[in-house]
Amino acid sequence: MKMSKKSKVVLYILLTIVAVYFLAPFLYMLLTTFKTEGEAIAYPPSLFPKEWHFENYSEAWASQPFGTYFLNSVIVTVMTTLGTVLSSSLVAYGFARFKFKGKNILFMILLATMMIPWDVTMIPQYMEFNLFGWINTLLPLIVPTWFGSAYNIFLMRQFLMGIPKDYEEAARLDGANSFQIYWKIFMPILKPCLIMVGVLNMLTVWNDYLGPLIFLQDRTKYTLALGLASFKGVHTTAIIPMLCITVVMIIPPILVFIFAQKYIVEGTSGSIK
Amino acid sequence: MKRKLAVVCIMMLSATTILSGCGGSSDDSSSGGKTKIRFATWDVAEDVDKQQELVDKFNEEHDDIEVTLEAYGSDFDTKISAGMGSGDTPDVMYMWNYPAYYDGLEPLDDYIAEEGDEYKSNFYNTLWDYNMMDGSTYGIPVGFTTHCLFYNKDIFDEAGVEYPTADWTWDDLQAAAKTISEKTDAKGFSFQMKPDPYDFEMYLWSNGTSYCDENGEMDGYINSEESQEVFQMFQDMEKDEYATSTEGDGTDEFRAGSTAMYVYGSWAINTLNEDGVNYGVTTIPAFADAGQDSVSILSSSGLSMSKDSEHKDAAWEFIKYWTNEECNKARIGTELPVLNTVVESEGIMEQEEYAPFYTMLEQSQGHTPASFLIDSWSEVAENLQLSFEQIFNPSSLQPVDKALESAVQ
Amino acid sequence: MKKKKFLKTATPYFFILPWIIGFLVFTFGPLLLSLIMSFFDWPLTGEKVFVGLGNYIEMFTQDDQVLKSLGISLRYAAIFVPLNLILALFLAMLITQPLRGVKVYRAIFYIPAAISSVAISIIWSWILNSDYGVLNYLLSLIGIEGPDWLVDPAWAIFAVILASAFGVGTMMLIFYTDMKNISTEIYEAASIDGAGPARKFFSITLPIITPTLLFNLITSIISSFQQVTLVMLLTGGGPLQSTYFYGLMTYNNAFKHHKMGYASANAWVMFIIILLLTALVFKSSSAWVFYESEVKADNKKKKRGGK
Repeated sequence: MKMSKKSKVVLYILLTIVAVYFLAPFLYMLLTTFKTEGEAIAYPPSLFPKEWHFENYSEAWASQPFGTYFLNSVIVTVMTTLGTVLSSSLVAYGFARFKFKGKNILFMILLATMMIPWDVTMIPQYMEFNLFGWINTLLPLIVPTWFGSAYNIFLMRQFLMGIPKDYEEAARLDGANSFQIYWKIFMPILKPCLIMVGVLNMLTVWNDYLGPLIFLQDRTKYTLALGLASFKGVHTTAIIPMLCITVVMIIPPILVFIFAQKYIVEGTSGSIK
Repeated sequence: MKRKLAVVCIMMLSATTILSGCGGSSDDSSSGGKTKIRFATWDVAEDVDKQQELVDKFNEEHDDIEVTLEAYGSDFDTKISAGMGSGDTPDVMYMWNYPAYYDGLEPLDDYIAEEGDEYKSNFYNTLWDYNMMDGSTYGIPVGFTTHCLFYNKDIFDEAGVEYPTADWTWDDLQAAAKTISEKTDAKGFSFQMKPDPYDFEMYLWSNGTSYCDENGEMDGYINSEESQEVFQMFQDMEKDEYATSTEGDGTDEFRAGSTAMYVYGSWAINTLNEDGVNYGVTTIPAFADAGQDSVSILSSSGLSMSKDSEHKDAAWEFIKYWTNEECNKARIGTELPVLNTVVESEGIMEQEEYAPFYTMLEQSQGHTPASFLIDSWSEVAENLQLSFEQIFNPSSLQPVDKALESAVQ
Repeated sequence: MKKKKFLKTATPYFFILPWIIGFLVFTFGPLLLSLIMSFFDWPLTGEKVFVGLGNYIEMFTQDDQVLKSLGISLRYAAIFVPLNLILALFLAMLITQPLRGVKVYRAIFYIPAAISSVAISIIWSWILNSDYGVLNYLLSLIGIEGPDWLVDPAWAIFAVILASAFGVGTMMLIFYTDMKNISTEIYEAASIDGAGPARKFFSITLPIITPTLLFNLITSIISSFQQVTLVMLLTGGGPLQSTYFYGLMTYNNAFKHHKMGYASANAWVMFIIILLLTALVFKSSSAWVFYESEVKADNKKKKRGGK
């Protein structure tokens, strides 16, 4: 597609305006991580630190066992992402490509499970996991995702419903069974969507702190997000270390995103609509 | 035909079983012959490291008990609520909000009695009142803070005003605040726009009234003349622009040098020392007409035991350790010591940033916070907080009598 | 023969089986218990007393806050949902443009979504603080006196919206993935027919992405009603309870006032409201959502490009 020079300029201007809105607070935070706490709250605010305190990062990292937290976060994120992508795509396929009795009711129930706020189901859930002996393990965070998450199922169903019927009809004429069609035809078509779901899920899990807060107890089991939240005390907040860890925590999701971008774009070559 | 589907299902199931296999065993509360005690704290960052060292020391000294530290920071309440609601409370936990949680806590009076009179009397006496509910003791004091007046010496010097002293009244403070606001860039005084009602009652006490009578009846107390005077004074300071109401607790504004005075607990000391702020601490000014010293609220922390704990003796062993002299000493800098002997031996009263908090403690005997008197205090407090904010928020500045009248309803 | 038929009917259930198991094991029990709790006076510890519909009656006859908070949440949803959708669509359009360096912009737009909500709320409360915040400081440099964002009840909800729009990257990515699936041939064909960018957007892009639009619409309705973390940390429900969202009220009833039964009733009322809204959206969706898989065979060719 070709574009006129004028519209290109307009686009760049638009992109830059939005980029400033998104980037400015982040850059402000980034610059703050190199300041002393006194400087960070001074008024009038300064943009650049008077002295660059690079050691803020190493001090923040050393203040809690973040190596362990990092490992736990990686385990939880990888395991849940694998689990939810596999199971949710199966279920989404079932909902999107078949007609069966009770489908609409079941689907409404699926959607409804997203609508109950966690505050009231949390205590019953805690009791259940306590019964299983899963409290203070990573299991309550991982295992349920292997049975599909409503959000991801719904999302993938929407994508699957957007694929024309003749795809499976042709394959069915060739004698393929439903699972083969799911695995050999739809999974490849859905690749960009699966990767996107993986990326989004990774982000949610990586930053989730309510789940870990409730189900984990001692520091050997903590995740990064929980370590981050525990800089915030009842009366005082260790603000600089907190922002340092925030910056460090952004790096993996961004790297994954940049890496995944390529595969999402590759969807174009096999565009299906 | 369904082979592959079956394979996937089996994979998922086996993954689940393997996972639950690794998790299942960690539930035993006494493995390897050791009694396991869970201990929950609200402290954060470096304070947790210090606590961990003390816990490690306890574990080394005891072959039969193993304590694990759980640090929840600002989410402490959510976590304890979840634990209590599902019957899985930590064995030992920090506690301050007894009215909300005492149902789930073990009364400790028998344990205390067994230790003898001397054990009990070594703690500052006022602190016991704050760790009791309906006549039973539910916590052993570990730390406390009263509130004091913090002032920035540099700003006072710049304005040429004498430093605040223990015999100041609010009139003196107002005069100083006016001069400071005129002569420097800073505001003379700051207070919270949305104060915690629990804390704010101390001003009413200082002016000879309270939120309610001993049955929790508020009418005629919170809307009394003495009470209105207090709110009016703060509101006037704000209206006349030599004081400002802060969005947070005021520490940040004080650190940044944009206010010269504020009233707060000992929590700020470490931060201010780290920043190198040139500050002083003294007692809260008195109300000139009240004919009494100023009074402070006590924010006390105690150590409590869960009612459902399966190892109460071991838990008590640990509570005793955590509240003994050695630990009191080790935690100076995190918490103000609560044992007479420690305050004496460490010369706390000679340290000018700590001493005023103990003076306030002595001046504050004999008051019971409304939270202990009013049923469902947390809901009442939410209402009160809204009324107070209506009085102090610069975008509303509601008349005091009207706002307090609506607080009674 | 019979076996084959059974397999045919059973197949779809095999696919959705994982979710059914997960629902029964992990979700149904807690859900049911929370419903039961809503008929009890259920303190954290101690005696639970059955009160029938008492909690629900109390909500609508004695507790003024319920309707107030509901109003606040509805107003927030009414602003936030369309704003977020439009912004996400707009950004997704921008980052699908074949421009040099667009990859970098894509990553930039995504960064805020990767920041944890705890940190987001801290940064924004700094930026928006009326006394020493950097935003009002910058405004003062150009001679504008900024509003008291987090102090003035009239402005606080905008502060929350400003901060929550920061997470738009998620929705943007969903739209973007969907748009990337549209073959360029359709656009080229339209260009030959002389269609401008606006025309192309409204008659090609928009109809094709309606399934994901529906998804984003529904999930953002749900999330705007469930907004708790950000408000709790940014405004704490203030100033003067102007951002005391329904979700925050529920949370406070559960974890501050320890009224688990009452909080459950709050939650179930909210659940019904969201459910009704969702059902409404779904009902209307047959008129505006366009699924390729439901297109009749004969007009398929016309509407669809690509393979």
